[in-house]
Amino acid sequence: MTVTPVWAQQHQVIDLLGRSMSVPVNPRRVVALAPNITEIVYALGQAQRLVGATTYSDFPQAAAALPKVGSYVHLDLERIVALNPDLCIAIKDGNPIATVTRLESFRIPVYAVDPKNLKSVMDTIMRVGILLQAENKAKQLISNMQNRIQVVAERIAQADHRPKVFFQIGIAPIVSVGTNTFIHELIEMAGAHNLAAGNIAYPRYSKEQVLGMLPDIIIVTSMAREAAFERIRNDWYQWQDLPAVKHQRVYIQESNLFDRPSPRLVDALETLARLIHPELFEDSL
Amino acid sequence: MTSGIELQNVDYAYARTQVLRGLSFMIEPADFFIIIGPNGSGKTTLMRLICGLEKPSSGRVTILGRSIQSFNRKRLAQKIAFVPQSTPLDFPFTVFDVVLMGRSPYQGMLGMENKTDVEKARQAIAFTGITGLADRKISQLSGGERQLAFIARAICQEPTLLLLDEPTASLDLAHQIHIMDLMEKLQSEKNTTIVMVSHDVNLAAMYASRLLLLNKGEVAFIGSAEDVLTYQNLEASYGCPLLVDQNPMGAVPRVTLVPGKYIPKKKT
Amino acid sequence: MRATESNIIKRLIKVTGVLLVVLVLALLIGLSIGSSGSSLTALWNGLSRSESSDSVLMTILWKIRLPRVLLAALVGGALSLGGLVFQALLRNPLAEPYILGISGGSAIGAIVGILLGFSQFPGITLTSFGASLATLILILGISAGQSILRKNALLLSGVMVNAFCSAVIMFLVSMTQDTRLHNIIFWLMGDLSLGNLQHTIILALFLIPCFVVIFMYANTMNLMLMGKDMAQSMGVNIRRANLVLLLVTSLMVSACVSQCGLIGFVGLVIPHLFRLFLGPDHRLLLPACILGGGAYMVLCDLLARAIPQQGELPAGVITALIGAPLFIYLLKRSNP
Repeated sequence: MTVTPVWAQQHQVIDLLGRSMSVPVNPRRVVALAPNITEIVYALGQAQRLVGATTYSDFPQAAAALPKVGSYVHLDLERIVALNPDLCIAIKDGNPIATVTRLESFRIPVYAVDPKNLKSVMDTIMRVGILLQAENKAKQLISNMQNRIQVVAERIAQADHRPKVFFQIGIAPIVSVGTNTFIHELIEMAGAHNLAAGNIAYPRYSKEQVLGMLPDIIIVTSMAREAAFERIRNDWYQWQDLPAVKHQRVYIQESNLFDRPSPRLVDALETLARLIHPELFEDSL
Repeated sequence: MTSGIELQNVDYAYARTQVLRGLSFMIEPADFFIIIGPNGSGKTTLMRLICGLEKPSSGRVTILGRSIQSFNRKRLAQKIAFVPQSTPLDFPFTVFDVVLMGRSPYQGMLGMENKTDVEKARQAIAFTGITGLADRKISQLSGGERQLAFIARAICQEPTLLLLDEPTASLDLAHQIHIMDLMEKLQSEKNTTIVMVSHDVNLAAMYASRLLLLNKGEVAFIGSAEDVLTYQNLEASYGCPLLVDQNPMGAVPRVTLVPGKYIPKKKT
Repeated sequence: MRATESNIIKRLIKVTGVLLVVLVLALLIGLSIGSSGSSLTALWNGLSRSESSDSVLMTILWKIRLPRVLLAALVGGALSLGGLVFQALLRNPLAEPYILGISGGSAIGAIVGILLGFSQFPGITLTSFGASLATLILILGISAGQSILRKNALLLSGVMVNAFCSAVIMFLVSMTQDTRLHNIIFWLMGDLSLGNLQHTIILALFLIPCFVVIFMYANTMNLMLMGKDMAQSMGVNIRRANLVLLLVTSLMVSACVSQCGLIGFVGLVIPHLFRLFLGPDHRLLLPACILGGGAYMVLCDLLARAIPQQGELPAGVITALIGAPLFIYLLKRSNP
């Protein structure tokens, strides 16, 4: 009978989609199959376990040095296998099921998570933390996040109005976010009213419709650079009747902060809160 | 009677137009049978019926006593070969390739030719007198040369009946005679029955053993050249003044068109 | 009569032999190059299954690259054959395998499958295949009545249906904002990475009988080039030939598309390429297109995998980037 060395020991776990699998107790070659997973692993201080990540894993800076395995919607199977991983962490919304199945057919365990709002991000941090032997760090991270959320909540409770926010994630056509998105959750938690709330997750609007809604604040996320920011802002500033324009409250924000369900969602929340209720945050958070 | 074709009361209608009506005649074996008539009389349709390419609306076309429709297509192709009036030009096969394709009724589905097929193709090309053109691409030949190539292909099919639809139309004079002589050679050397549609009445008169004058889908006149080519018959069918006299080269009629200026004006 | 003296069987064997060697070479090159690196010694180790070959390499070679290059060869051959047959059937040098509405129909089927959340196998493959066949039936129905212009009617109906489907596709794409949009776009651009060996084998079992049936009609296609009347007078059953070729080819192309998305230009360019070198005889062109088209696709896929740093290009992009200039070059070669 052979004795399994400590580093090769496995145990059964159940991932966040309810799938049961055998993973190493001490994973040493982990591939993150989405940029937010990469962020979470770094936040847990377990980056030394990572041997690969997806193309747009650009935060933190150090992650850019990791070997790339394709984009999260179109993973490069060969590159993943070539890294000889002992564990892959996948997200439900985006990673193709067929690729996950094939990885598992090569006997590479794939642990799936589903971070889609603040709560599930924290669940994910917890489970990944346990998975990577960083349970304490995970608890600390979550506690920190909850504290910061609590601070924001307390300040927002003092607000006497809820401005109407139009949150624009698509430039042409104009696309906003509906109720079933985490940005909506953040907007509401930041003490504002999401004008695009409704059943459609990513509703589209014509310029006239937006003008008709008379938003107090317009926030645009874009992957574009400075010059394009100016153009977008000037585009809205033509419409003098908009409250947002009258009070000069058209803001451009970096999209990675807002479209990635990662620990930085709390940063996004704080940013939103400051933009929406600057009067409550005159001292720093 | 072995290779004779008979039409029994054949009608043909298309798109609510009656194209042919009540056709009943026989084509004897080794006949040189030429069909003439004005445009729109139904000559090409008649040809296609004899070929088996169309089915009559009523009546029968028989060969060897059996209705043409009852033949298996390939077996029919071994008996009847057809040279249509025009063929598409857009393929770069060589003359030899085209002639060789005439052997397909005798081949399996894959159409792989054997030595016999190749030999027969060579013979057909020699018979037609186009040996020098064998390696040229069909698309690069003149109209007359191309026609000869397709005729060689039909000869290669070794048919008992050869059908040609206006084979000499728009060809130069040398090719016209060459083709008609070729048909005569086929008829005498191989006993092939020739059935041709022609627009050239005089050429038809000099070669035909029997003529059929078709007008408005009906048999106007059928018989020898002397019987059919009278000026009364012709003027009734073609509807223009014609002069019919004796061809200086032989005992057949000669038909000459009459320009308007030669018709004496009626005195008032 | 020099060129015409050589036996068709000998020529067939020569063409098939040479192209088979080319295909095998392409497959070997395809196996030795990939997004994780290229190495012939690695391939040699893998092939000889020596003790020193590690399991990662074996997995990459046999479970990732092998299904993929085999799939590329199959699909390249089938699409080239499809282009050849449609060019002969419709007597149009611009005909390509998707011309009878197959691209439009199968794309809509695939998009619907993606939007409904199906996985590629069997869900999207089936919706795509089904929609493709439905479109074919629609086109046959539209063009059935007209007899004289039948060929043109078929072509025109196909083009119109494809155009309509394009509009529907653009509508569906514009309505999708989430990650499914990525899946749709990749499918529309052609994607050979989706299957494993089992799927490739199933496809092969479907395609190879199609190849055989079509090959039986190779000589018939030659005859049909001489016009309907002459072909019929030489014993060809034009109606049956058209129907069989149309149906079998459409099934063949639909099967490929439903597995790999829309890979274009292969079916258009490869038949012209071989026609330039081998002449118009379909008995030679057919195996040439299958083998040569397969090799071409393997090489295109190779470029798609090996060139980009960040992850592969869709196969359809490479075939278009190479195919379009190649087609123009062929055009100039054949019209001096």
